[in-house]
Amino acid sequence: MAAVLLSKSERAYIQSSLKATPPLRADGRGLLDFRTVLLETGVAPLANGSARLNIGKMAREGGGGTEIVAAAKLEVEDVESGDGVDGGRVACSVTCSPAAYPHLSSNALDELQHDLSVILQQTIGHPSLHPRNLTIIPRKKSWLLNLDAVVLADAGNVVDALFMAARAALWDAKVPRTRAVQYRAPEALKSAKNDVPGAMDVDEGTSGFDTRDMARTAADFELPDYWDEGETLDGREKWPVCVTLNLLTPRHFLDATPAEEASVPQRLHLMFSFVPSAPPTLQAMRLLGPEELDLKDLKESIAFGEQYAKELFTALETKLREEDNRRNIKARDRFALMR
Amino acid sequence: MSSRIEILNDGGFRSDGRKQYELRDITIDLSQQGTADGSAMITHGLTQVLVTVFGPREAKMRSQTLHDRAVLNVEMSVAPFSTGDRRKRSRADRRILELSAMIASTFEPVVQTTLYPRSQIDIYIHVIQQDGSLLPACINATTLALITAGVPLHDFVCAVTGGVHSTSPLLDLTTLEENDVPHMTVAVMPRTRKVTLVTMETRLHVERFRELFELACEAGQTIHKEMKAAVKERTVALVGAIDAGSKPGVVDERDRDVFMGESI
Repeated sequence: MAAVLLSKSERAYIQSSLKATPPLRADGRGLLDFRTVLLETGVAPLANGSARLNIGKMAREGGGGTEIVAAAKLEVEDVESGDGVDGGRVACSVTCSPAAYPHLSSNALDELQHDLSVILQQTIGHPSLHPRNLTIIPRKKSWLLNLDAVVLADAGNVVDALFMAARAALWDAKVPRTRAVQYRAPEALKSAKNDVPGAMDVDEGTSGFDTRDMARTAADFELPDYWDEGETLDGREKWPVCVTLNLLTPRHFLDATPAEEASVPQRLHLMFSFVPSAPPTLQAMRLLGPEELDLKDLKESIAFGEQYAKELFTALETKLREEDNRRNIKARDRFALMR
Repeated sequence: MSSRIEILNDGGFRSDGRKQYELRDITIDLSQQGTADGSAMITHGLTQVLVTVFGPREAKMRSQTLHDRAVLNVEMSVAPFSTGDRRKRSRADRRILELSAMIASTFEPVVQTTLYPRSQIDIYIHVIQQDGSLLPACINATTLALITAGVPLHDFVCAVTGGVHSTSPLLDLTTLEENDVPHMTVAVMPRTRKVTLVTMETRLHVERFRELFELACEAGQTIHKEMKAAVKERTVALVGAIDAGSKPGVVDERDRDVFMGESI
């Protein structure tokens, strides 16, 4: 996506080494190898869920690699006033640091940000993935789930990294427990009023404490005090992962560096969602690049993509459960001990 | 305006358990970020700022260069999740422009810009979390990023915020305290003992100013020690790496998992 300046001969060199048998890559990886992926959840204390992800950090230097911070933050929205949607909504945005793209002008950077936001919004905000527990009070109040991702450094393969970070942040997100509050008139008062209609016309005044005529539905909500920050988002297993197939017919490879990205004619982003006990679903697909792709090749690529995405998903799932254990279950045990 | 939270209680403790002049924990990470020439991440209490420096390099817009010195270009971005209530600030937000202008003017007399005529030094600041003392954290991180980028500076710039609660001065305020007490930010050059920035957005009694100002300058010296230690540690590691590479007999033993034969 980032237009790295690459000369024709450099491009030809990279292409021919990728096509050679055995294929060669500058960092010695195989075609289907990912760089080291590092993930940490709970990095933003003020967000409801957050994650920091790095692909390809160099072990010795302690730097480098694609780095993304994603955070999910919940906000209360009023449905009646027209701000919110009944059942809640999901809004995604991506910010790219100018430091990640030092060669881009600020306008080009805005365009890139917009492109990435649209991909994320259309995939994550799709109705088929919508979590059901974003309602606070039906038809009155709902949560707005803001997912913000910041690209701090780009060393290639941003879209895959973005989706992994988004999945981790959403996995980590906790919806605060709410308890609906309603106004209710004491039963005795109500029945007395109904039994003798018009017997005595008492001027009731307009006291603020007189709530007898108010509608007996939930009017507002409160946040009960509890040890944890709430329950996890409903259907958090469904959040998709993305694999990018860099197509250099007849070959494809994964996790491209910026130079490799600039030298392949086509890229295919595939977003898969893996629900336990159901076949995987292809949530979104993007084909980028100036060339065309045969339908047969496309089908083949999707089949390969599914396989890679499954592997990526399994690895990410393991790490997320480990993080969950580290941050939540141990915290709960410690809380139990304190009591 | 007063809040229900006690800024300073009778025992002399602040709302987060610190004493009046106690600074929050500072963690400095000077590792490389992407393709930047220099970078620094400062975690100051719960405030976290990442600064990356590019340059001196040729400017993207030639018209903005000066013939006799380098131009400092400061761009700042605030993560939408950095504050309590989510708010997305664009790059042209007034507050952000003001902060970046302040940082640029703080560093103009410190960076030896005359050494690089017709070039530009880009300073990109990311605010990842904020809990008070945002400007000092940005300034301290920028100093360190410029140093790691190898940009010649006259001196360090060390900044700190100070506030006054009734008559007692406080140092290094959190958001809670910033909302409640008059405060100012002071940036000092510890070696030359010059001051490059004093800014205040609230009103402070003139009699309190002197005391607070002197305290802030002293706190700047303390922060300088912390920053110098971080720079020294990184430099020692770099020099060690150079030595390991140049001498044939010495092998860098740090986290080596593959041992080649005795021939090395």
